[in-house]
Amino acid sequence: MTETTAVVEMRNIKKHFAAVEALRGVDLELRHNEVLGLVGDNAAGKSTLMKVLSGAYIPDEGEILIEGEKVHMANPLDARRLGIEMVYQDLALANNLDVTGNVFLGREAVSIELGPLGVMDNHRMEQEAQRLLSRLKIAIPSVRLLVERLSGGQRQAVAIARATAFDSKVIIMDEPTAALSVAAISQVLDLVRELKAQGASIIIISHRLEDIYGVSDRLVVLRQGRKVHDCPVVGDLDEFRERVVAYMIGARDDFANAAVG
Amino acid sequence: MSFKDTIKAQRHNIRDYGMYVAFVMIVVFFTITTKGLFISSRNIGNLVNATSYIAVLAVGMTLVIVIRHIDLSVGYLAGALGAVAAIALKYWLLPLYATIPMVLALGIVAGLVTAFLVAQMGIPAFVATLAGWLFYQGLLQLVTRSTGTIVIENETFNALGNGFIPDFRGLEILPGVHKVTLLLGLVAIVLFIANEINNRRKTLAYDFEVLPMNMFILKLVFVSLVIGGITWVMAGYQGLSWAAVILIVVVLAYSYITTRTVVGRHIYAVGGNPEAAELNGISVRKITFLVFGSMGLLTALAGILYASWLRSATTIAGRGMELDAIAAAFVGGAAVAGGVGKVTGSILGALVMASLTNGMNLLGWDISIQYMVRALVLAAAVVFDVATRRMAK
Repeated sequence: MTETTAVVEMRNIKKHFAAVEALRGVDLELRHNEVLGLVGDNAAGKSTLMKVLSGAYIPDEGEILIEGEKVHMANPLDARRLGIEMVYQDLALANNLDVTGNVFLGREAVSIELGPLGVMDNHRMEQEAQRLLSRLKIAIPSVRLLVERLSGGQRQAVAIARATAFDSKVIIMDEPTAALSVAAISQVLDLVRELKAQGASIIIISHRLEDIYGVSDRLVVLRQGRKVHDCPVVGDLDEFRERVVAYMIGARDDFANAAVG
Repeated sequence: MSFKDTIKAQRHNIRDYGMYVAFVMIVVFFTITTKGLFISSRNIGNLVNATSYIAVLAVGMTLVIVIRHIDLSVGYLAGALGAVAAIALKYWLLPLYATIPMVLALGIVAGLVTAFLVAQMGIPAFVATLAGWLFYQGLLQLVTRSTGTIVIENETFNALGNGFIPDFRGLEILPGVHKVTLLLGLVAIVLFIANEINNRRKTLAYDFEVLPMNMFILKLVFVSLVIGGITWVMAGYQGLSWAAVILIVVVLAYSYITTRTVVGRHIYAVGGNPEAAELNGISVRKITFLVFGSMGLLTALAGILYASWLRSATTIAGRGMELDAIAAAFVGGAAVAGGVGKVTGSILGALVMASLTNGMNLLGWDISIQYMVRALVLAAAVVFDVATRRMAK
């Protein structure tokens, strides 16, 4: 594995639902220790593309390479085994379980190996969860708190912590700052920077261009199931916003020639 | 830490403590009003036997409610399976050791059929099990039509619901007290204390918060006294009944599975957020099959206990049992929205409801009043539940 190999390479991904062409041949690359912003108007295909990468959808065409190796993913578990973790917009947390229970959901540590009847090692999981939260500088009073008692920002932090708990290669965040207070948004963005500082490779989907601008190294714009823009995040925020919106609404298109029909 | 802070830190446990306090109050009330008759060894022994089959159903029902479903079919299924057991023993002349596994297996199959309708066909559990309620009612009538009530003559079978565990022979100390029961109670207290201390030590070793020492000791003393008191009362009559032993085994097994094992965690995860569980690799379908399968197994056990207790299978056996079990689960803290509910809570709920019935019977209260009192207790328990949960937020 060299630093020049991309962590993720998606080639010519196509996906349709009934008569709707959701993805019409998208290429996407994520490099090591890079934060990639993925934007686009509603129905541009960003969520579909990320669901393909996280194993929730199987593409009609195209291939996916993880660290240069071609992979096939039939479900989210496959993706997770390959080190791809998704933080879902609706968070996918169980409110009735505590922070530890959610961080380890589906991957409980056991002290006695008995398959489904395996005995959980609660102390080890609590300690691990605590360690994880402090490593990510997440302020939650106790890992024993039920998730239903956490604020929106804390819940998002738990969801992100879970995604980083098992040596993941890629973390995908779907609208991590949607429906959060201003203070919570800055907490989540700090968390993303912290993850990058610790070497993570991250893809962020967001409607909030200033958030993308604030944390991303590179930006990909999708429109109507195609990639229309792919370049580093540079310039000042106003110029950036103007340029991205132009791509989002179709006024500019870098890959118009490559588009087929 | 002041007492107030201690209470505050424990407020998420208020619901549990409230249940125990309510139960103790009910026991004290009936003990006083019946001039001690309620707490007499004989009455408590009968009470436990008469509660055991509802309590067993309530354990299974708790898990069904936790995963956001309901099972209305268990009453008549228990009745029908009890009748099958009676017929197998009396007319097919099957030995007991073949009858019981067969009935338990049939229970599991019935549970899996329900699970198939719910998990595979996507039928709401309310409707699927309403169909089961009708079906098993019909089945019970069909199998008992030619015979009417079937009297069971197998004494070993009847001992399950009526018999008591044997005592040491020839010991002169404590005449009239069941020594084996006392010994078991003592063992239970020792194991409980050892387990609590061990847990506390481990938790401290990991730097996590524990109950303050005075609260911890209070808890140990209180629970030990309760176990000791119950043991003493039961030992005063004929000792621990087999039904009580079966109930204790079921409760211990199920609380261990639900609180300590991976599959237990997954059941609560499915109840809390099925989509999240699925995204994290937990199969909602498999959990549904497992929970309804276990409900079927426990229903068969309840049917055996009930038939054994009555020494017969009747044409209306099981009527209304499902609602008693559901009420016990809700009194015990299960929430309709799913994800919440403990096995121990439901057992307590079953005991509360059975104590009410038993106490009011001893006092000779009219049955119509009894229904209304139980209704108020059920409603009050759920109101208390909602209120404490809101307060905890």
